[in-house]
Amino acid sequence: MRKERIILYVAITILISVFALMHVYAQEDVFVVEDSAFKDNRQRPPALFPHDEHNEKARIEECSVCHHVYQDGKRLPEESSEGQECSECHKLKRQDNVRPLMKAYHDMCRGCHQKRKVEAKKLGPVTCGECHPRKTEIAKGLMED
Amino acid sequence: MYDLVTGPFAWVAFGTFVIGMIVKLVSLIILARKKDKVVFDHLDLGWSIRSIFYWLIPFGSRGMRQKPVFTIISFAFHVCLLTTPIFLLSHNILWDEKWHITWWTVSERTADYMTLILIGSAMFLVIRRIVSPEVRIVTTAYDYILIAIATAPFITGYLAYHQWFDYKTILIIHIISGEVMLIAIPFTKLSHMVIFFLSRSHIGSEFGQRRGSKTW
Repeated sequence: MRKERIILYVAITILISVFALMHVYAQEDVFVVEDSAFKDNRQRPPALFPHDEHNEKARIEECSVCHHVYQDGKRLPEESSEGQECSECHKLKRQDNVRPLMKAYHDMCRGCHQKRKVEAKKLGPVTCGECHPRKTEIAKGLMED
Repeated sequence: MYDLVTGPFAWVAFGTFVIGMIVKLVSLIILARKKDKVVFDHLDLGWSIRSIFYWLIPFGSRGMRQKPVFTIISFAFHVCLLTTPIFLLSHNILWDEKWHITWWTVSERTADYMTLILIGSAMFLVIRRIVSPEVRIVTTAYDYILIAIATAPFITGYLAYHQWFDYKTILIIHIISGEVMLIAIPFTKLSHMVIFFLSRSHIGSEFGQRRGSKTW
């Protein structure tokens, strides 16, 4: 067997293993924007949000674009807050001048979609029912409990 | 399309409504000065306020006490018509995002019931115009059109909220129907939402200040 061949096989094997490992370690994809704070105070079904697919389409690579961390009103660019619930900082009602939870979500999602629309990039939904559809199984299940 | 109806169309609608109502008010007052100058000699704040007040509360006026069913339904209609869109959560979110203004909201479920009450009472108003002879005789197609203009935003709003039929189309029709209503107010009888205060003040003063008799 030629030397290049062996190198190619080794390279392929390594690549496959890396992808397999990535799949194991990758977090499970998220499909709705859920926050335990909304549990007893749900006005609409939660927003549909296929996390990975969204970020791929929106070309978001940094977690901290959405999972930000603020300290004393300033964003810490190096820090990110994935794994934390948004409601840990954003309460249902405005507290310490931190925007309330629903507004935080709306500003994050709709705000970005609006901004991108102005910039004439491909845009995400901006109307109520496009993010909060009633006809999906997830929506039905959550609105019933 | 959504941008068009929530952007320029909304500006035109709110602009026409506000400016139209101001022009209407001013021109009516100027007309009164020309045609019926005497009115201004008898205007009386106390009698005006009392007349307006008794006509704003349920069963406040004699006519309302005589027709209790109509009174209840008419009040339900007017209260829901005014409060539902103003205190609706989704409308508030739009105000907040565009202008950073927020106020109280009712829950989505409450707003849903209020919309149903409004649609139901509008249906009663239509049926009343058909079956009641004394109302039918003064009813023209214009009256039905006005009820339709006032009720359309609520029917389409209900459909949009429940996402029946094609959501985006219904939503756009909903927004346009609301804008049609706003634009129609200054040019039609719907302007009674403001003119009511002028006519009640006039009649209240006319009968109260001159003859000491109540008009409620």
